[in-house]
Amino acid sequence: MQSLKKIRVVVASVVFVLAAVVFLDFTGHVPTTLTTFLGSLQLVPSVAKLFTGLTVASFGLLFVVLLTIAFGRVYCSTICPLGTLQDIVIRISGRMRRRRWYQHKAAPVAIHYALLGASLITVIAGSMALVDLLEPFSNFGRILTNLGDPILVSGNNAVAYLFGRLGIFGLYHMPLLHMQTIAVLLTVLFLGLLIYLSYKHGRLFCNLLCPAGALLSIVSRISFFKIAIVEERCTDCGFCEMVCKANCIDAESKKIDFNACVGCYNCIEACPTVALKFEGFPKRREISRPTPVDAPRRAFFGVVIAGASTMLLPRQIEGNASAPKILSYDDSRRMPVTPPGSRNQNRFSNLCTACHLCVSVCPSQVLSPSLFEYGFAGIMQPRMNYTAAYCNYDCVLCTQVCPSGALLPLDVAAKKEVQLGRANFIKDDCIVITKKKDCGACSEHCPTKAVKMVPYEGKLMLPELNNDICVGCGACEHACPTTPRKAIYVVANSVHQKAKKPQVQKLENPLESQKDFPF
Amino acid sequence: MDRRTFFVKSIGASALAGSYLAFGKPHELLASVAPAAGPAPFDLVAVRGGEPDVMFQKGIEALGGIGAFVKKGQKVVIKPNVGWDVLPERGGNTNPKLITEIIKQCLSVGAKEVYVFDHTCDSWQRCYKNSGIEAAVKDAGGKMAPGHTENYYHEVSVPKGKVLKTAKEHELVLEADVFINVPILKHHGSARITASLKNLMGNVWDRGFWHGSDLHQCIADFGTYRKPTLNVVDAYYVMKRNGPRGVSVEDVVTMKAQLLSTDMVAIDTAAVKLYGADPKDIRHIQIAAEQGVGRSDLENLNIKRITV
Repeated sequence: MQSLKKIRVVVASVVFVLAAVVFLDFTGHVPTTLTTFLGSLQLVPSVAKLFTGLTVASFGLLFVVLLTIAFGRVYCSTICPLGTLQDIVIRISGRMRRRRWYQHKAAPVAIHYALLGASLITVIAGSMALVDLLEPFSNFGRILTNLGDPILVSGNNAVAYLFGRLGIFGLYHMPLLHMQTIAVLLTVLFLGLLIYLSYKHGRLFCNLLCPAGALLSIVSRISFFKIAIVEERCTDCGFCEMVCKANCIDAESKKIDFNACVGCYNCIEACPTVALKFEGFPKRREISRPTPVDAPRRAFFGVVIAGASTMLLPRQIEGNASAPKILSYDDSRRMPVTPPGSRNQNRFSNLCTACHLCVSVCPSQVLSPSLFEYGFAGIMQPRMNYTAAYCNYDCVLCTQVCPSGALLPLDVAAKKEVQLGRANFIKDDCIVITKKKDCGACSEHCPTKAVKMVPYEGKLMLPELNNDICVGCGACEHACPTTPRKAIYVVANSVHQKAKKPQVQKLENPLESQKDFPF
Repeated sequence: MDRRTFFVKSIGASALAGSYLAFGKPHELLASVAPAAGPAPFDLVAVRGGEPDVMFQKGIEALGGIGAFVKKGQKVVIKPNVGWDVLPERGGNTNPKLITEIIKQCLSVGAKEVYVFDHTCDSWQRCYKNSGIEAAVKDAGGKMAPGHTENYYHEVSVPKGKVLKTAKEHELVLEADVFINVPILKHHGSARITASLKNLMGNVWDRGFWHGSDLHQCIADFGTYRKPTLNVVDAYYVMKRNGPRGVSVEDVVTMKAQLLSTDMVAIDTAAVKLYGADPKDIRHIQIAAEQGVGRSDLENLNIKRITV
């Protein structure tokens, strides 16, 4: 049992590195199965995904719950990459200040559960904002996407530049089209708070702010195996308390608040007399003796369970199914276009935990973090940014990796029939009208020829729209060269519509028979 | 050696080293003067009826072999059209078999290195992969280079340009001894038809300016900037409508043709006829002819016609 910590460190390192690679890879070499596998193990996204039905993620969730029922919050020190990130900070801070021992403190259960309750209430009220701001996997994702990626890409670009000078192009320059200043600033703020908390107080984040920690702490109340101090062996040295970064060991009274334990097993390793070990189910009552703290705790527990059970009530995830509103010229440009697979804006906003996994895997980088474009309720949830790029017609990556079900998986054929929005053409702004010159950038890029060129004033060609076959990919808007505003742009469908397939006709007079040279 | 001569010599040596760094590799300086080639036996070679690689073999042979264009130790840059995330049979991108054959031939006469790139429209990694070009380049021993960010492009002036006075050209083309332009012939919604002149739009970064400031004039203007060492128009699969991206394979006819020439206007004029349109209707070719980029009077040119 002394080697538990070593096993924990290895597992946590592997998960952390894999999760980091999944978010930071810009070469497209990480298999989607790895991404979905790691995502399925993440508690809050997988709970959200339950609302879309039983999926692979449901098995991930079941695994996490069973693991917790068996051994407590193992999750927090192995599967949760944000937990490992805190452990890295703790490790470094310990080295910077020698003899920084921890002391037992009662876990701030009231605030922690109150925050969980508040999160649940806001979710029921239709906003993921609080969950998005506190949820560990999404915060980890945002740290890597909004801070890690720019740092990695800058370093890569510097090296790629030097190699490029030498004629070596194995490394290439990468753009950072998804960077949004506010999202970066918010991420910096969160990371600052996380570093402060872990530097000063160990794993306080997990027992104060983290909704996954709160949920698992509730589940761990019924754990079969709990860590306990064997009184006969204990020599009162207090090492276990000193190394407990969750502050959950009271060495003096030899009690462990197992609900606050993040499963790091530092105590087991530190104990010189092997007095700490997992005790089985029968000894449970003996170990966690009721304390005066338990009464309000239980009351709170009841409230949370009641709140949690309301989550199981059918919620109107699909949202308002009415046709898209007709918007005025300027309003329409403010409505964000939601990614493929999101089906409609309400549904998307109700499920997205803003982990930015889709942002980081998008090969064209058309997905960008929003700020308040979905309202405060949807803070930092991604949107299609057609100024930066456009959605590649044959790409479905974002829909396949989404861990929360906000984006449902689409295959390429199905995606081609989804209309995210409809193009709007302002003739009076078009180059062909204003300058009387050919342009056609919009039609060139259109994958379905929903924008096609028709004769105009003699030999010129003017764009013409057929919105029945428009998929709302934004290629036309992105390519349009007019300034300051685009002459063609996509108006979001707040409920995605079905795009008709482009008509395919056989070519008349194929030239195959023509064998000679016409010159 | 006394102290004085030592100083003088060291200064001389560092000046030499400095000029080497400043002006680049000496062979490039020599190469930019003119690749020594005898008079081309034909102004234009047209081939029909074979696979892309076979047609190139026949065509380049008629022009005196690849050795007439590529010398030992030279740096070759090939610019196909890899603009779109579509498979080869969709006719959106240059045929990968043709690219393989050109690279192999360049290497066979001792080219030091052969680079291939495009400034794609769709997501670049997907274009490189799904066009089959990346695999073709690697197979043949060439190097696929990126062109998706602005830092690969450097401003050059276009002295003969009427509207396009400057452009940001890809650094590989700036450094190349030999530049081979390998477009695919296809319909184009804006330029009407795309062949060798239009393909050079993929050499530059700032394409929005071209679209917003008289596209045809800009295409012709850029044609005056640098004459490619060789142009090869791939007309194996030819997209007849919905260009330049196309919507389905139904937009494409299998023409099995190829054109080779050092003259972009001549090759594009012939390409337009092959496509079945009138070169007079393609404004950028007309302007390019007027601006002296090349000759559109096919009847006065020495054309070799080969049927495989």
